[in-house]
Amino acid sequence: MIRLLPLLNRINRVGLIVLFTGFLMSGNQAQAQTPEAEKNFQVCKACHNIDGPKLIGPNLAGVTERRTTEWLIKFIRNSQEVIQSGDPIAVQLFEEYNRIPMPPNPLSDEQIMDLLAYIKNGGKVAAEFAQAAPTDEQVAQKQALIDEMQAKHLENEARLIELERDANRNFGTTFIITLIILIVVLFDLLVTKVIKARFVHSILILVSVFIIGEILYKEATMLGRQQYYQPEQPVWFSHRIHAEQNKIDCLYCHSSVEKGKSAGIPSTQLCMNCHNVVRSGKITGTVEIAKVIESWETGKPIEWIRIHNLPDHVYFNHAQHVQVAKLDCAECHGAVEKMDEVMQVHDLSMGWCLECHRKTEVQFTSNSFYETYEKLHEQLKSGQIKKVTADMVGGDNCMKCHY
Amino acid sequence: MEKKYYKSLEELRIAPDEFQNGEMLGDKKSLLLMEQELKQSTGPNRRDFLKLFGFTVASAAVAASCEQPVRKAIPFLIQPEEVTPGKANYYASTFYDGNDYCSILVKVRDGRPIKIEGNTLSAVTGGGTSARTQASVLDLYDNARYREPLNQGQETSWEQIDAEIMNKLGEISGRGGRIVLLSPTLISPSTKAAVDLFKNRYPGTELVQYDTTSASAILKANELSFGKAFIPAYHFDKADVIIGFDADFLGTWLSPVEFTKQYVSKRKLHEGNKAMSRHIHFESGMSLTGSNADKRIVIKPSQQKAYVAQLLLALSGSAAENPEIIKIAEELSTAKGRSLVVSNSQDAETQLMINAINELLGNYGNTLLTDVHLKVRQADDAAMTKLTEEMAQGAVDGIILYDVNPSYDFPDREKWVAGLEKTSLKITFNSVKSETSETANYVCPDHHYLESWNDFEVKTGHYSLAQPAIRHIFNTRQAQESLLKWAGSEKDFRTFIQEYWQQNIYQTDLTGFVSFWNKCVHDGVYVSEKKETPVPALDISAASAIASTNSVIVADDSYQLDLYYNVSVGSGKHANNPWLQELPDPVTKICWDNYAAISQKLADEMGLEDESLITINKLGPFPVVIQPGQESRTVSVALGYGREKGGKSAVGVGVNAYPLMGFAHGSRQLQTIGASIEKVNGKFRLARTQTHHSMEGRQIVRETTLAAYLDNPKSGNEIRDEIKKHLKTIYPKKEYAGLHWGMAIDLNSCIGCNACIVACSAENNVPVVGKEQVLMAREMHWIRIDRYYTGDPENPELIRQPVMCQHCDNAPCENVCPVAATTHSDEGINQMAYNRCIGTRYCNNNCPYKVRRFNFFDYTNADALPGNLYDTEEMTVDLRKLVLNPDVTTRAKGVIEKCSFCIQRIQDKKLKAKIENRPLADGEVITACAQACPSQAIVFGNLNDKESKVSLMFADERNYHVLEELHVLPSVGYLTKVKNTNV
Repeated sequence: MIRLLPLLNRINRVGLIVLFTGFLMSGNQAQAQTPEAEKNFQVCKACHNIDGPKLIGPNLAGVTERRTTEWLIKFIRNSQEVIQSGDPIAVQLFEEYNRIPMPPNPLSDEQIMDLLAYIKNGGKVAAEFAQAAPTDEQVAQKQALIDEMQAKHLENEARLIELERDANRNFGTTFIITLIILIVVLFDLLVTKVIKARFVHSILILVSVFIIGEILYKEATMLGRQQYYQPEQPVWFSHRIHAEQNKIDCLYCHSSVEKGKSAGIPSTQLCMNCHNVVRSGKITGTVEIAKVIESWETGKPIEWIRIHNLPDHVYFNHAQHVQVAKLDCAECHGAVEKMDEVMQVHDLSMGWCLECHRKTEVQFTSNSFYETYEKLHEQLKSGQIKKVTADMVGGDNCMKCHY
Repeated sequence: MEKKYYKSLEELRIAPDEFQNGEMLGDKKSLLLMEQELKQSTGPNRRDFLKLFGFTVASAAVAASCEQPVRKAIPFLIQPEEVTPGKANYYASTFYDGNDYCSILVKVRDGRPIKIEGNTLSAVTGGGTSARTQASVLDLYDNARYREPLNQGQETSWEQIDAEIMNKLGEISGRGGRIVLLSPTLISPSTKAAVDLFKNRYPGTELVQYDTTSASAILKANELSFGKAFIPAYHFDKADVIIGFDADFLGTWLSPVEFTKQYVSKRKLHEGNKAMSRHIHFESGMSLTGSNADKRIVIKPSQQKAYVAQLLLALSGSAAENPEIIKIAEELSTAKGRSLVVSNSQDAETQLMINAINELLGNYGNTLLTDVHLKVRQADDAAMTKLTEEMAQGAVDGIILYDVNPSYDFPDREKWVAGLEKTSLKITFNSVKSETSETANYVCPDHHYLESWNDFEVKTGHYSLAQPAIRHIFNTRQAQESLLKWAGSEKDFRTFIQEYWQQNIYQTDLTGFVSFWNKCVHDGVYVSEKKETPVPALDISAASAIASTNSVIVADDSYQLDLYYNVSVGSGKHANNPWLQELPDPVTKICWDNYAAISQKLADEMGLEDESLITINKLGPFPVVIQPGQESRTVSVALGYGREKGGKSAVGVGVNAYPLMGFAHGSRQLQTIGASIEKVNGKFRLARTQTHHSMEGRQIVRETTLAAYLDNPKSGNEIRDEIKKHLKTIYPKKEYAGLHWGMAIDLNSCIGCNACIVACSAENNVPVVGKEQVLMAREMHWIRIDRYYTGDPENPELIRQPVMCQHCDNAPCENVCPVAATTHSDEGINQMAYNRCIGTRYCNNNCPYKVRRFNFFDYTNADALPGNLYDTEEMTVDLRKLVLNPDVTTRAKGVIEKCSFCIQRIQDKKLKAKIENRPLADGEVITACAQACPSQAIVFGNLNDKESKVSLMFADERNYHVLEELHVLPSVGYLTKVKNTNV
């Protein structure tokens, strides 16, 4: 049911994807403002505008003229180091912007140069990459369409979720009613003998045993799963406000999602990057943000409640799925950016994992790792197979996840 | 002619048909009998229970609708830049426990050190490790560690204890009293500088070094030979002929990891190498080194001196009587400058003769370097004996015990303890409870080495650093910092080391000290050009004189005693380490005890059998093990057991044999002549991993001699061609699209040091089961090292073979699993899904290699039912559990487990390659066992890549697969063992 959503999200980023493909084909990385810069700039965007109203950090228009490239590279990579080294400009900037540290960015020299070129160009990628990009009008049209579809889809999704939850809730009642019927029938059959026709008993017993069995089976498979789990968090943190309204990239907070097993929950320090300044929100006022500030001041981390839990015997790695397989976060987590309180939308069962592994194509030709699979490459070339899905390279093996 | 291999003396004696006879099962009940008993017994049995239980659980589950526990996700307050949750960091550090040295990398996951790996940058240990190094990470989470500083047994604060101690130290040194700092050999230059500062502040302080495993006689002999007490740097990698006199240089002698690496580099025959060193070993008991020798000569401890003397005489042109010695002298003369003669004798005169032999052979400057010194084990035994005397007379006012435990390991314990009682001020830095530290006035617990900064100079100019991999867990303080503090310096030890290095080690270069320092911390090692001052040429006349008067080999008939350190527990310092205690001895395959190894002859004489009891010099009782290859009237006993204090796994395991040590010629003696041995009634069961896993009468191990190999590389492996002819199948050959993992093991390189077993346990959360379970053949090690004897039981040859899951392409285990819990992966790995396993053990029965392990209990506390827990060694307390590898599931009761080819390491490296958008390189994925191996006997890689190292080894003509005739197509290959025997 939610299967359409990731697709839409992809279309949402259509510009980016088209550009990215162009970039991969051109293979030209060293020069300037590639789409990668645009992607990297998502992190900067949280605090910096190029032009327009000043955000948490200074505007970046003309920054390449103001400072030397060398200084910029150092500062972007690890601003605190530059400040601690006593660099006068850095110290002055730090004081001027309320001593809010800029988090370090582990980028290469080339990547930073690229980013600077992107900023210099006013936040646009180079013409050679932009060729394939649609015009503004087209984008707007497409966006409108996407928004509409998404809205509709979300509505449907919400209804479905509601239905499924209701259905789940009814199991208990059905179970008890059926059980009562069964007992009554058995009692009648053996003791009271009110109903004379025996076949009524037989049918009722058969039907109720079947229903009880079915419920038992369903409940048993659901053991340990937490679909639609939506606990109340210690801080009323809304992904809708952060990710959708303020367009903060998922990666700004969940920064290790491309690097490691765990996506990472942001440290209080990261929250404070913005909330040092942003002290009240439209919906909750100062109440919820105050909890974050309290955590910062008392030095006690916020104890979030974990929603997406996998059993101990399952190994899951975010980097494999996000960085290597290029999956969108929403594929597994649903439209988190539309949620005020996060809910687990999929059951995260093994069947669900395998289903996806069987139909999802791997980045077979674009990732050099798969060069080892010579035979599959040949078959792909000769048209023997149309695509390479995860299960064809061992994605359905037990020891991909269980070890 | 086919050699006959046997695993124990019983097996050699008993005809095979007797083995099948039920009587041989001894007190073990046959299964049939047990079943009959079960049928006769009335009342509910296990099956009824299970039925009831299943129903209860199912109904309870529905009724309670199973509330899920609320799990928290707590982020960092301030995330450190280098930490990515779920990703391991590696920090270079150094293991040094006062005896052995190893340069290492510490794997840290989410702030916890969980594994030790060898540091390949080290010029000394070169990426190798030992079993003890691997196990040392568990000592960090030792329950017996001190958690607070103690004043007379009461917890106190550092400020208070500092004030009191400084007051007392000042008072003693003020009135001209004596303070002794007793430590094992210090190889840390900065620590020595800190001690000097301390000495300046408190005049009258003396540093006494006390090594449990001492090289006192070598030091003394070199002082006589060269005017300087030192241990030279040995180069087994340059020696074509190696003669060892009782020196277990592959296991415990001086620097075993380094020597193993050197030794094996001369024994590898693949990669185009066609020559091999020749190793002849003289010893009384069967040691790790002796069992690897090409020729092993059994001598009495009392005869060593005479043999050495004869060898010296033979080499200097005089006539020797012993035909063996004459032959050896001839061999040595053909390898002048390319040979090495070593001895572990604790007699300086013998060592003097060894020096002379090496001088005559021109080995100095080639295989023995006098301008590079080995800095470990510098203690003079006489100094400790003198100290004990003085303490007994009450001449010492204060003693600081740094990482020593003489109340346990000093032979004359009574005298030492009495002396200690007379000493008014007793301060200890011991971080773990011990016999000595428990009697101290002040306990100032030291950090574990993984929590400390430190520096080391293990050989002249070979420096290395240790850095903390975790913040100290308990309220402890590094010993050096305590010394500095008491000396009036407020410096932390890191700054102190840094300053010391800047002044003494750093040589001005363009990049500056900071980058030099950062590089050293990053690499963990630094080699400078430093050389020792040259020594005068050796005069052999004194040695010749000794030789001429000592050259008669006397057939002494008295009982003799041969004490030794084993590769697991060693000196006893690490006795509270269950990983080490459960490690089977490389020769006897016994764990959880020490024992008296005796010869068959002696056993017959005294009417002893395995597990009978004897006392030695009234000490004991020791259980007896009849050891093939044991000198007829010599008893060998391992030291390091029988601890009285120091934690659950240390106390009460084995008997303390240190009181059996003698003192003569200014050194403590491991070997003594004229022991009294008495039989005691009763028996003591020893946990052996020996008689299980037997592979009856088939060519499991294959070996040949060097000459035969040079003649025909297939020699010893001829049967393989014959087997291959018969391999036919109706099934299509399984093909692997991308990767096909395989492992090749060079039997010539494997020396049986056991490092792989501990590394595997650490990497894969392999549980410790305890002695009782081992007695029932339930040990859980995923990799075992089988050893077989062959030839004359009085002096057999020994051959070892590491066996783990062979990951067969036609795996017999996979077909029989009723629930498909074990299946084959697309990369050739035989997979095991624990959560799917229901514990029928069909796979275990159908495995021809017997490498599958069953969890008879919940050993790891992974089970939902608390009653299933079986943990005799406190391995499941919270502190110990910190060592678990979070990437590997802990297994619950009732499931099978086995070697997974370190799948988590494979997946990790694959992911790294994918993220970096490149193919996987050969040698990138290394299993834990291969990483730990000091001799690189294990090679892991992709068999589909025909250029990979493992493929080349598979293509070698020495390669064979165990039980290949079954056509199970194993992914593990072995290279035949080649012995250099027929010179």
